[in-house]
Amino acid sequence: MAEPQRAAGGGIRIAGVSHTYRPPRGRAVLALDHVSLEAGDNEFLALLGPSGCGKSTMLYLIGGFLPIESGVIEVRGKRVTAPGPDRGVVFQHFALFPWKTVRENVLYGLEKQRLPKAERMERAMAFIEKVNLTGFEDAYPAQLSGGMKQRVAIARTLAMDPSVLLMDEPFGALDAQTRRLMQEELLGILARNTKTVVFVTHDVQEAVLLADRVAVMSARPGRIKEIVDVADVGGTADAIRDRRFVEKVDYLWNSVRGEALAAQKGV
Amino acid sequence: MEPRMSASGLAGASLRLLAASGSVIALLVGWEALARSDVVSDFLLPQFTVVASRIAEDTLSGTLPVQLGLTLWRALAGFALAGVIGVGIGVMMARNKAAAWFFDPIVSIGFPAPKIAFLPVFILWFGLFDLSKILMTAFAAIFPVIVATAAGTEGVDKYIVWSARNAGASGRNILYEIILPAALPQIITGLQVALPISLIVTIVSEMVMGGEGLGGTMMVAARFADSVGVFAGIVQIAIAGYVLIKAIELVRRRLLVWHQETQQIATF
Amino acid sequence: MTAFLWRYSPLFLIAAAWEIAPRSGMLDAALLPPFSEVMAAMARLIIDPGLYVHAAASLMREIAGLGLAVVVGVGLGIVMAWYAPVRILVNPLVRCIYPMPKSALIPVMIMWLGLGHLAKIGLIFMGCLLPVIVSSYNAARGVETVLIWSAQNAGASRREILTEIVLPASMPEILSGVRTALALSFVLLVSSEFLMAREGLGYMIAFLGEGGIYDAMFATVLLVSGIGFAADRAYLAFTRRALAWRA
Repeated sequence: MAEPQRAAGGGIRIAGVSHTYRPPRGRAVLALDHVSLEAGDNEFLALLGPSGCGKSTMLYLIGGFLPIESGVIEVRGKRVTAPGPDRGVVFQHFALFPWKTVRENVLYGLEKQRLPKAERMERAMAFIEKVNLTGFEDAYPAQLSGGMKQRVAIARTLAMDPSVLLMDEPFGALDAQTRRLMQEELLGILARNTKTVVFVTHDVQEAVLLADRVAVMSARPGRIKEIVDVADVGGTADAIRDRRFVEKVDYLWNSVRGEALAAQKGV
Repeated sequence: MEPRMSASGLAGASLRLLAASGSVIALLVGWEALARSDVVSDFLLPQFTVVASRIAEDTLSGTLPVQLGLTLWRALAGFALAGVIGVGIGVMMARNKAAAWFFDPIVSIGFPAPKIAFLPVFILWFGLFDLSKILMTAFAAIFPVIVATAAGTEGVDKYIVWSARNAGASGRNILYEIILPAALPQIITGLQVALPISLIVTIVSEMVMGGEGLGGTMMVAARFADSVGVFAGIVQIAIAGYVLIKAIELVRRRLLVWHQETQQIATF
Repeated sequence: MTAFLWRYSPLFLIAAAWEIAPRSGMLDAALLPPFSEVMAAMARLIIDPGLYVHAAASLMREIAGLGLAVVVGVGLGIVMAWYAPVRILVNPLVRCIYPMPKSALIPVMIMWLGLGHLAKIGLIFMGCLLPVIVSSYNAARGVETVLIWSAQNAGASRREILTEIVLPASMPEILSGVRTALALSFVLLVSSEFLMAREGLGYMIAFLGEGGIYDAMFATVLLVSGIGFAADRAYLAFTRRALAWRA
C-alpha cells in the first residue's frame, strides 16, 4: 500500500502562552507562565519536567482541548482554535473506546474523514500491522495488555495521518520492560513516517533517547528553563551505552533535579 | 502538596444552600404559574399557594403532625428493625459458610422480587394496625441492607486484616475494630437505599389498609376528589422524604469522616 | 446442574418447614396453608386461563410504563448532561421529585386518570423516569474526558460525539439504573393494582385475600415474586451480552 503523499511534519510556534487552571472549588492556579517555544518541521521535541510543571497542559493547548487565553499557538502557520486530526494525540492511559474492537478503534478517525470504505479498511489493517498487532483486530481493549493497548492508541492516531504527533507520557503507564520495547518500536515507526512530534515525559533517559531537542520545564508555574540539543545522541536502542549519551542524560538530570525537588516540596 | 481548600466555611455553605434551594424555588414558581394559567384546571393542578395554606392549616390544627408522626414512626421502626437484623445477617453471611449457603438463595430471589406483593400476607397474619405495617416495611427494607453488608464485610481488604493479625489482635477484636469499620461505608450505603424503601412501603401499606397516617389520609382525599388534599399530602411526603435522606447523609458524613477525606485527596 | 441444585437447596428446607409447621399444628393452618396445598393451588391457577388474562394486563402495563420511562429518561438524562439550557430547565424538577417516594403519586394518578390502564402506566412511567434520568445524567457526565478528546481529535462533530461516544460509554451505568427502575416498576405495578385496578396480578392477590382463598393467594404471591426474580435475571443476562466488551 502506498504511503500517503501528504507533506510530512509541520512547524509549531508557541509564543507567550500562559494558562491558569481554575478548579470548580478552590483557588485558581497558574499552570504556565509566558511559555515560548518552537518546533521545526519533522522535529522531535521532548517536554521534560517534574510533576505538575504544566507540560501536559502545554500539550493539550497545542491540541486545542483547552482554551488559549493568553499568547499564541500556531501550527503550520495556522492559529490553533479547536481540536482536529492534523494534530494527533496519544494519551497516557490509552483513551481507547472500550466498546469498540481494535479494528473499530483504529477505523474511527478514518470514518470521521469520510474515506471510502475499502480504503478505510485497508489503511486500518496497514496501521494495525505497523504496530505488530495483526491477529488482534477483533479483540476488545479489556482483553489486551498495557503495551498492546498503547500500540492500538498509536495506530489509531497514526491512521488519521496527522502532520503533528502530540504524545502525553504515552509509556508512563507501562512497566519498565514494556516501556523500553515501546521506545524502540516508536523509533522504528517514526523512522519510516517523519512527523513533527511533541513528546511529554518526566523520564530523562527516554527524552534523550527519542528526541532531537529537549525543553526542560521548571516546577509550577511552568516556564522553559533551557533547551538542549540531543539530535546527535540517542536514536537507536544501543545508543544508551554511548558515553556522550550518558553525559547528556547526566546534564539534563541535574537541570531537572532542582525543579523536581521544588515540585516535591509541595508547590 | 498543599490541600485544596474549598470556598471558605460559612460563605461557601450558604452559597451552596442558595443554589440548592434555587431549584426548589424555581419549581414552586413554575408550579404556581402553571396552576394559575388556564392551561390546566384547578382540579388537575391546584395552586401551590392554596396547597400551602392547607398544609399550614393542618399543621396548626395538629392533624399534620399526628399523621406525619405516625407514618414516620412506622417507617423508622421498620427501618430500624431491617437495619439491625439485616446487618446481623449480612455479617454472618460474609463470615460463616453455613449462613451464606442458607441465606443466599433467599436473598438473591428476594432482592429483585416485589416484596410489596406480600402485603396481604402481612395483613392476614398481623391485622390492620401498626404491627403489620412495621413488619411489612422491615421485610421490604431488609434485603438491600443484607446485600450491602455482606458485600462490604467480605470485601474488606485482606491486607489490613493481616496487618492487624500481625500486630497480635484476636479474632473478635478484628471483627469489631477492623472489619466492621472498614465495611461501614458500604453498610451505610445499604442503609441509605433501605430508608426511602421503608418510607415507600409504609405509605403503600397505609394506602391499602386505610386508617391514620399520610398514606391513609391521601387515599381518602383521592376518593373524595379533594385535589388540594392530595397535593398537600404529596408535598408533606416529599418534605418528609427529603428530611430523612438529608438526615442519613449527615450521619454518614459524621461516621465516615475518614472516608470522605481519602476521597477528596484522590480527586486532587 | 448439581451446583444449581446445591445453591438453591436451602429453599427445599424452607419448603419442608412450610409443610411441616402448619400440618403439625405449630402454626395455624388457616393462616399458613401447608406448602403442598399452596402448590396444588398454583397448579390449578396455571391451567386456568383467567390467570393469563390478569398476567397479561399486568405485564402490558409494566412494559409500557417502563419502556416509555427508559426511552424518555435516557434521552433526557444525556441531553441534560450535554446541553446546559436543558439542564437548567429540568434540574429543579428532578432534584425535587427524586427524593420523593414515588408511591405517593398513586392518589394523584387516581384523580387524574381514574382506574384504567392509563393510570397504572402513567404511574410506572413517572415513578421509573427519575432513576433513569439520574443515572443517565451521571453516566454522561462521568464519561472520561480523554475519550471525548480522542473523538474531537479525530474530527467528530458535537452530535457525533454524543451518539457515538457519550452514549456507548454511558451504557454500563445507564443499564444499572434501568435495573433499579425495573425492580421499582414491579413495586409500583403491584401497589397500584392493590389500590386502583379491576384486573391484574396484584388485584388477584388482594381479591383472593379478601375472599379467604389463602392457598391461591399464597400461590399468586409466589408467582409474582418469581416473575420479578425472573425478569431481573433475564435483564442481567441481557446486560451481560450488551456489555460483552467489558470482559
